[in-house]
Amino acid sequence: MTETKTAMTQTLNRAEDILFKRYQALASDPARARAFESFKASGLPHRRMENWRWSDFKARLDTLFARSDSHTTAQADPFETLDGIICLRFKNGVLAELPDLPEGIDILQKRGGYAFANCEDIPLGALTAALVPATYLIEVTQSYAQPIKLVFEGEGAAAFARIDCVIRPDIELSLIETYRGGAKFNASLTSFNLNQGAKLSRYMIQPATQDQAHAITSEIHLDAQSRYEQTSLAFGGHLARIETRGTHHGPESEMLLKAAYLAGPGHHIDHTSHIRHGAPHCITRQRTKGAVLNKGTGVFQGKFHVPRVVGQKTDADMQHNALLLEEGAIVNAKPELEIYADDVACAHGNTCGALDEAALFYMRQRGIPDLQARAMLTEAFISEIFDTDGQAHSALATLREAAKAWLAQLSQ
Amino acid sequence: MLKLENLSIRVGEGETAKSILTGLSLDVPRGEVHAIMGPNGAGKSTLSYILTGKEGYEVDTGQALYEGEDLLALNPEQRAAKGLFLSFQYPIEIPGVPVMTFVRTAMNAQRKARGEEDISAPNFIKKAREIAAMLNISADMLKRPLNVGFSGGEKKRLEIFQMLMLEPKFIILDETDSGLDIDALKTVAAGINALRSPERGMLVITHYQRLLDYIVPDKVHILADGKIVKTGPARLAQDLEDKGYEGVLGLAS
Repeated sequence: MTETKTAMTQTLNRAEDILFKRYQALASDPARARAFESFKASGLPHRRMENWRWSDFKARLDTLFARSDSHTTAQADPFETLDGIICLRFKNGVLAELPDLPEGIDILQKRGGYAFANCEDIPLGALTAALVPATYLIEVTQSYAQPIKLVFEGEGAAAFARIDCVIRPDIELSLIETYRGGAKFNASLTSFNLNQGAKLSRYMIQPATQDQAHAITSEIHLDAQSRYEQTSLAFGGHLARIETRGTHHGPESEMLLKAAYLAGPGHHIDHTSHIRHGAPHCITRQRTKGAVLNKGTGVFQGKFHVPRVVGQKTDADMQHNALLLEEGAIVNAKPELEIYADDVACAHGNTCGALDEAALFYMRQRGIPDLQARAMLTEAFISEIFDTDGQAHSALATLREAAKAWLAQLSQ
Repeated sequence: MLKLENLSIRVGEGETAKSILTGLSLDVPRGEVHAIMGPNGAGKSTLSYILTGKEGYEVDTGQALYEGEDLLALNPEQRAAKGLFLSFQYPIEIPGVPVMTFVRTAMNAQRKARGEEDISAPNFIKKAREIAAMLNISADMLKRPLNVGFSGGEKKRLEIFQMLMLEPKFIILDETDSGLDIDALKTVAAGINALRSPERGMLVITHYQRLLDYIVPDKVHILADGKIVKTGPARLAQDLEDKGYEGVLGLAS
């Protein structure tokens, strides 16, 4: 049995072969080599691996790489309309041009490999760490009132980008991120280290890319009293996974994860998260909402890990609610709480269902056509993720409009 | 204006099929208000759903004509655009959609279906303010998600608000008085009476005669076992109140 297993990992499929060759073409260094060895142990993650059973990168990347007819163009950036903000554009993982940065934000380009500690747990993160042309080390030592925009795009078979960001004590930053795709396989790895009392808000969008695959991986480390907030809207692709791995290292840190997904025909979008409550009195709030059409697939895998001693007084809540808009829509969900501490407040909820028929009839009785009523109800359901408490917020408004535009197509 | 002829309706298939209406005939001419009364389970609310196009009902016999047109061939939004309005017995909560957005969307959808221009934003707001003031509806309520967290009485007032905004041609009121205190009942009745005109027809479905003190009908029909068993003048409602369904229907047989 062991022999068979070894033999299988040594049999590379077409996609793995392309990735292996790409690694061999790079100048080797110890950090790259270590990351690649980790990746090689499993190869591309596939459905027989517990965390990947609904998102089989091995099989799906293989079919994607075999196709010659696919149009791999980068998608439009919905945040383009936001004026006057600093933008960092990463093309195939390389910062195209370094804009003037405000004081207190420094970027260092580290060519070649850069150590990635979490290699064993995140195979696609390990692959990214092994294949990126450079890692961008960002240090934030002064708060900056405006958001900074990150745009990721690629071309060709595969594009890899990596950012490692440290936010110093009591400093605040917000980021707006667009994952435009452009390569057949677009992978990014971002790490955020929030020092004591630091605050980071991220607003992310992944436009629909039917002919492409995405692996958007983030790891977050939270020191005491820091606060991390992530709001995302994803439309999926041939295969897309947004994976978030967070660790509360210091007490009273807070993590807010808000995600919305809309999957049309032929689109697959996976939200996977793993949050470790490694310090007492930490708060995690996770809210994920999705809507899926016929031949679309949504995946939610969420895990809260609360260790016995350090996890005491954890306050964590995980909610996933999905709408199956049509027959033939698929949603797979696995919410998990792994709790060893005895003095915690942890909850999770998970629902999958159709639109409320009574509400639809009520709206149609008032003259609103069926498809428009469905779009309105879906928008109302999804837009809770972008709630601003009545405050003006241009990034959240952009996400809301992007969701609305997608839904408006349904009522045409 | 609305003419039902020998209408028989059932729900369900095969062995679970159940007859809801069994040969119901009813004629509401333009300009008249008719009341439908009847005991629990007589099919009153079902009648309102059938007329407005809710799915799940099968027509066995008969027809329903609305201004000479086959009503049952139209979908709910087409019926609404042609002026049919139902004030629901239990109005539905729609989270995330503010009242004003909802009503404006409905109004413009109906206008579009009729080939008319959208209402302008200032005209819409002006109209909404006037009608809200008449019904004692606060500006705050109009900003909140439709019916979410509203009391029973507030929901009913909001049904009448929508009705006055949309200015339908034929109005079905299903138990509009339930959940209303005396003051709210008077306000709601004044709203309904404001729409009484020679151009409109109304069907008032109610359990009790109370609402009919304020909205005096031209005719009262008693619905029992899926058909109209007795028709009379407004006074019939008072007779029912005094003698009960058994008393009145007993006299009839």
